[in-house]
Amino acid sequence: MEGWFGQVSTELAAAWAIAKKDILIWYLKPGIIVSGMLFPLFMFLAFAVGRPAEPTVLVPGLVAITILFSASSIEPVSIPIERRMNTFDRLLSAPISLHAVVLGESLSGFLYSIGIALVPLAAGLAVFRAGIVGPAFLVAGVVLTAFCFSTMGTLFAAYPTESPGDIMSMLNLVRLPLIFISGVFIPLSQLPSAGQFIALLSPLTYGSDLIRAGFTGEAHFGPAVDVGLLLVFILVFQFAANLLYRRFND
Amino acid sequence: MHAIETLGISKRFGDLRALSDVSFTVGEGETFGFLGPNGAGKTTTIRILTGITAPTSGTARIFGHDIVRETVAARRQMGIVHETSNIYTDLSAWRNLMFAAELYRVGRREREKRGAELLEVFDLADRQHDRTRGFSKGMKRRLTLAMGLVNSPRLLFLDEPTSGLDVQSNLIIRDVIRGLNEDGVTVFLTTHNIEEANLTCDRVAIIDHGRIAAIDSPERLKETIQSVQSVEVAFHPGGRVAADDLAALSRVREVRKEGDKFRLITEDPPGVLEEVMAFAPRAGVRVISVNTRGPSLEDVFIRLTGLDVRTKGVTTAD
Repeated sequence: MEGWFGQVSTELAAAWAIAKKDILIWYLKPGIIVSGMLFPLFMFLAFAVGRPAEPTVLVPGLVAITILFSASSIEPVSIPIERRMNTFDRLLSAPISLHAVVLGESLSGFLYSIGIALVPLAAGLAVFRAGIVGPAFLVAGVVLTAFCFSTMGTLFAAYPTESPGDIMSMLNLVRLPLIFISGVFIPLSQLPSAGQFIALLSPLTYGSDLIRAGFTGEAHFGPAVDVGLLLVFILVFQFAANLLYRRFND
Repeated sequence: MHAIETLGISKRFGDLRALSDVSFTVGEGETFGFLGPNGAGKTTTIRILTGITAPTSGTARIFGHDIVRETVAARRQMGIVHETSNIYTDLSAWRNLMFAAELYRVGRREREKRGAELLEVFDLADRQHDRTRGFSKGMKRRLTLAMGLVNSPRLLFLDEPTSGLDVQSNLIIRDVIRGLNEDGVTVFLTTHNIEEANLTCDRVAIIDHGRIAAIDSPERLKETIQSVQSVEVAFHPGGRVAADDLAALSRVREVRKEGDKFRLITEDPPGVLEEVMAFAPRAGVRVISVNTRGPSLEDVFIRLTGLDVRTKGVTTAD
């Protein structure tokens, strides 16, 4: 009989196999590149061009929205297409739990996002001369935010459709407002009190706060709160995704 | 221990009852056919047996593992070949095989050895590094079957394995199924091809409207409807014969046109033979071949699903 450790390592190995498969298939698809790289770039330009803003606001903001869009850009495309091709049934009938399927799918978005986030980060350091004062905060912020939104993408992709457009439409209804309510380009302290309350419900609030702490050394909520709440969001998305995939597969 | 044991499985989708109290067993090493018209419940049964869908009530055991409570342990025993060739067309045949093996946690050395063997068996070795996008339907089907076998399963679910395939792929796949049977692998085969089930299965179950209508060996099922005998007759192509003329013969119960032949359903084949030989000169046509035939598995299928008859001597679910 396989022990607890054996089961976990089997699940992780299968999740990694799923992620590798997605990496090979999806990373260079034009739709993914547009959604993951160009969309946040244009959002950034719309916000930043012509506005006087500190690099310590602009660069963390750009990194945060790049992660938001790139991390949640793969699964909403790949999973409906896998449903259409019936390859998703292959994952659902493998000797692994749904958690491993969700984790594997999320991992590909996560790794893609980490890679993509390096571009605005490098540009921020080189062009805007933004300095990193809290590297641990920055790393934690990038990693947790990327994982949080890749899991959110997998959660949305649970909706039983074979059309990526259906999921992208729903996802954008959430992603676009998140930019405005999460203090990405406008510091939380400058938001009206109602805005500050709504911001508490957004995972991007804690992600961008933690990333900004990497550049300023200070976090509005405190790094521990940001880390803790991002972990909570990840767990909620993971379990909700597990529940929805189970429900919709019936 | 049974390879498969279903215990009163029922499944509802809202108001629709897809399966009603389905119970059967499949022995280890058996090739078991699962036949039924579209919408009868075949796919739902397979989805439940493979743990993709949960039954509304009842359960199933795969080599003793409850598919609902011990899904992962049950799935480790099985390979699954879905109805459609669900391969990744952006990946090579080799990468597809390796991915399937990794999902089942087949060790690196073992999966590479097994993968190379399967590509040879399925005649895909020379295209192993090509993207499968350009593969023919038959090649994709063969690769799908190879992926279902990469974990050396004790039980293989085959959903319509040879539907619409070219002759070469058909022969390879049937040969592999025969080999699996010889190796003691249990095969659960759903098919529309009744002759395929007749030739390959030890036993078949016929499902209709979500209920098992009959389970038995093909030959015993045929014995239950001996009244469906027939005379198959072909006339010289120059002669004109209408099905209605043959239907008018007194001992013929039904006429089926099958290619260039007529199949005359009767309970009295010798009597029909006499009538046909008398009919031919009268109609100015020449008989070029004549055969008497017993009931086919297809007749059983039609009888059970079309007329909903529960025949004597057959193990039924009711």
